[in-house]
Amino acid sequence: MNNKEQFHRALLLLGCLAVAFAGLGYRLVDWQVLRHDELSARAERNTQREFREAPRRGDILDINGNILATTIPVKTVCADPVILSNQTAVVAQLIAPLLQLNPAAIAQRLLPRLSLATNSNGQIVTNQSHYVRLARNVPEPTWQQINAAMTNFTLEVGGRKLTRKEAEFQYDIRYHGIYAESDQLRVYPGGALASQVIGFPSVEETNINGHFISKIVGCDGIEMAMQKQLSGVDGWRLTETDKAQNELVALRDEDVFARDGLNVVLTIDSQIQHIVETALAEGFQQHSPKSITGIVVRPRTGEILAMASLPTFDPSQPGSISPETRNRVITDVMEPGSTFKIVVVSGALDRGAVKLADEFDCEHGHFAFAGRTLHDHEAYGLLSVKSIITKSSNIGAAKIAIERLGDQQLYNYAWNYGFGQRTLIPLPGEARGILYPVKDWSKVSIAQIPMGHGVAVTRLQMLFAMAAIANHGWLMQPMIVSRLQEHDGNIVQRYGPQRVRQVISEAASQQMVEALKTVPTKDGTAPDAALKEYLVAGKTGTAQKAEHGAYVPGKYISSFIGFFPADNPEICISVVMDEPRDGGYYGGKVCGPVFHDIAARCASYLNIPPDPSLNTNAVPLMADTLLRK
Amino acid sequence: MAKNRKNQAAEIRFGPVLKVVLLCSLICSAAIGYVWQKSQIERLGHQILDREKRLQSLKNDNKGLADQIAFLHSPVMLDTQARKLNLGLAPAQPFQVVRMVDLPFTPEPDGPRQYAERPMAGGTP
Repeated sequence: MNNKEQFHRALLLLGCLAVAFAGLGYRLVDWQVLRHDELSARAERNTQREFREAPRRGDILDINGNILATTIPVKTVCADPVILSNQTAVVAQLIAPLLQLNPAAIAQRLLPRLSLATNSNGQIVTNQSHYVRLARNVPEPTWQQINAAMTNFTLEVGGRKLTRKEAEFQYDIRYHGIYAESDQLRVYPGGALASQVIGFPSVEETNINGHFISKIVGCDGIEMAMQKQLSGVDGWRLTETDKAQNELVALRDEDVFARDGLNVVLTIDSQIQHIVETALAEGFQQHSPKSITGIVVRPRTGEILAMASLPTFDPSQPGSISPETRNRVITDVMEPGSTFKIVVVSGALDRGAVKLADEFDCEHGHFAFAGRTLHDHEAYGLLSVKSIITKSSNIGAAKIAIERLGDQQLYNYAWNYGFGQRTLIPLPGEARGILYPVKDWSKVSIAQIPMGHGVAVTRLQMLFAMAAIANHGWLMQPMIVSRLQEHDGNIVQRYGPQRVRQVISEAASQQMVEALKTVPTKDGTAPDAALKEYLVAGKTGTAQKAEHGAYVPGKYISSFIGFFPADNPEICISVVMDEPRDGGYYGGKVCGPVFHDIAARCASYLNIPPDPSLNTNAVPLMADTLLRK
Repeated sequence: MAKNRKNQAAEIRFGPVLKVVLLCSLICSAAIGYVWQKSQIERLGHQILDREKRLQSLKNDNKGLADQIAFLHSPVMLDTQARKLNLGLAPAQPFQVVRMVDLPFTPEPDGPRQYAERPMAGGTP
């Protein structure tokens, strides 16, 4: 071989190498330059993952920090039918007892199925579905058991050693066949306690790449009204994973923590709420009404300590929710009956149009006015203004309005007490009530409205009108939310009492209290509402129900609204029954005892000092006993 | 030519050998350091993940226990238990409540009394 031949061979080799390098170079340019965007995006898709972190929904607490609603972490157990392949029946048999489901039903769900998807060209294609939800709201310990059971899964091959392919198949089934997604479950430790105030949740689902992301959404009550504050803000983590989908922590790019929802602290006291609900349940059992409601507020601040309506529901059991279980305290309007007399009498006292001692002729129970005849439940002759309240005389109240107050003033006072307008309590579904302007009144309106007909109010409006009298004439805005706080107790926002307006003067309110004190007495309409250790001031109401434009005989709305201690009111309580059927229907008769029960227990719980004027205070006796010992 | 080769072979030149050894050591230690660092990152990454999971698990357990306390404190639960155990528990009646009345402050006539005063006379106690 001469040098020339050697040179040719070397040249040939060089040429081959040059072509090979040129090919590699082209490939390099193709990948790194020409298809850079496409390939880098594909590479990112293969390794980069975005994990969403759902915020924990805030709790709803009572004024003492007791949990009324909270969120617990649970799992949604899912399966990949493609991985499970022909082992669905075995896996179903394995996990069914843990999920307390039928193995056949699980096996049915695990059958391979097709799902529709859109490819990169925008075409709709069918894929084998890798995502099947088996069970929701699975507790963490149960998921741990399922995980352990799946880790011990063994492929049946008749005793021989697994081939490499079979070993890989077994590994996939063990660790990727069944998996869990984090979820949240709303729980209510108190069951049905204050359920109408708290509301109930539903789950909203969003389909993201074939996976359902669920979110708790409030449907009623505080859950709905404070949705924004309770729900928090999502977090996310942009990171990379290895082939086995394990996160590579060192390659985390963005890591933003979820901001949990705020805790909503209510003014509700769960102990008082329980007292009210128990007393209402007893009243419900005794008088079989269509519904019964009870509210307890602090007149000085407008804080609502309890708000209940029966029938009620358990927010954990969506099946128990129906239109009948609505929060009637704010959603329903009714003709208030005689409790509305406080408006006309206090208005007349405020204007100085009457004094408590002024007398009116109550026409012995029959008073013809504007073509109609007004009646009293008993035939009264001359009654003082105070006695008109004590005896709840319709004719007396009507005469005060007709002779001393006038229609425009009556309307003004009713409006100033908050009737015909929302109280702005932060609960959804509040009704406005009906208070017609004077121009729309009929001739008889001025006689009807003082006795609580021709006007429609919510139970909350009526209670706050009474609370205004207890609070030196100042109408307060109802408070149901006390504050918003973070999970560590750090207060974000505090809500304080808000005065709406002074409806009547302090002097007028004192006179009104004097009159109202006579109602829960032997001479009044609600002797059963009286308390042994406290002076109670209150007013009864018994309104005939109107249906289809006419009053229906035998159907009444009975009520008692009162506060105590009368001269230094701590709490104001309203009890309203809709159509009591057994044991009478007068407000004092059916609602008075329920008021008494609630008031006595609340006084004990709140440790309200007994009224010194009643002289039944046993403290000195007790102290004497201790001293003697 | 041969003489020169013979002379060269006989001569040990430590300088270049040392340089090569040092260079190799440097490269090796850099490579080992790189791998060690990577494995440390990997190990610490796993530790972080494990501890994050543990933290989450503890938070969940803590929440579960707090919920259990809330459930046990709930008036409904307490009422049910009180009724079930038949302990005769009932709300206190007003005559069963002793109220402590705060008396207005009156200063001691002989100046402040020293409650923790040690006896100064009479020798050792």
